Amino acid sequence: MSEFRPTLRPALATKQAVASAALKLSPLPEGTIVHVLARPGEQDVVSFLGSLAKPAAHAVRPVSPGQWFIVHEEPMPHKEMKSLFAALEPRATGVDQSHGRVRIRIEGKMASRALSKGTAVDLDPSAFPVGQSAVTLIGHIAAHVTRVGPEAFEIIVLRGFAESLWDDLARMSLEFT
Amino acid sequence: MASLVPCPHCGQRPKEEFTIKGAALARPAADADAVDWFDYVYLRDNPRGAYEEYWHHTSGCRRWIVVTRDTVTHEVAASRDAADRARSEART
Repeated sequence: MSEFRPTLRPALATKQAVASAALKLSPLPEGTIVHVLARPGEQDVVSFLGSLAKPAAHAVRPVSPGQWFIVHEEPMPHKEMKSLFAALEPRATGVDQSHGRVRIRIEGKMASRALSKGTAVDLDPSAFPVGQSAVTLIGHIAAHVTRVGPEAFEIIVLRGFAESLWDDLARMSLEFT
Repeated sequence: MASLVPCPHCGQRPKEEFTIKGAALARPAADADAVDWFDYVYLRDNPRGAYEEYWHHTSGCRRWIVVTRDTVTHEVAASRDAADRARSEART
């Protein structure tokens, strides 16, 4: 048997914090991300997901037509996850992405200015209000961006790209820090 | 980021987010003649002007869309989800 043992550590644990008065970049806790895919033709899935997510205070973020992320700060116990998947069926299917994707928070007065260097999405509050999500390229990396506050964004990115995206974001933020 | 492509789900996005498949042709019936299938698989016109193409929004919503585009001016006349297009054609 191989001596090699994988070490479990958060994807961005070794990254140096980026923080200033105008902009702050921080890795979010690796809690729960569930990717929900609705069956074709299903209606009103949003309110259905809302009713499932509300009691547990989970956030629901739209991804694309018929797809959502259910996001939570805390890891979800296996039992709870199983019952969530069971509750989704047969209208939709859930896939656990908690270890597959990483969340990054970028906040501050200059957050949208820094992000705009990487994406073509219009981040003006009138076009991209609080709660709005978009999947887009940031540089060459596909990422899911949500405005979670007037001056705060949450970025969900595949784990393998998280370090690279963090380095890009840090470089994009340099002039504001 | 010069050319913008309107995605019916995501709005205006740069072409870098998309993958182009090519002309959106009507698929022959499964038991159609070999000549029809040869045409469909291998032969392409290279029109100057209006053109219907499949685009995949790879780095966005990951939906296939059909873009009606002018090959000379890159003016986009329409863009719709490929599934909706297939459904509307099945009805007619």
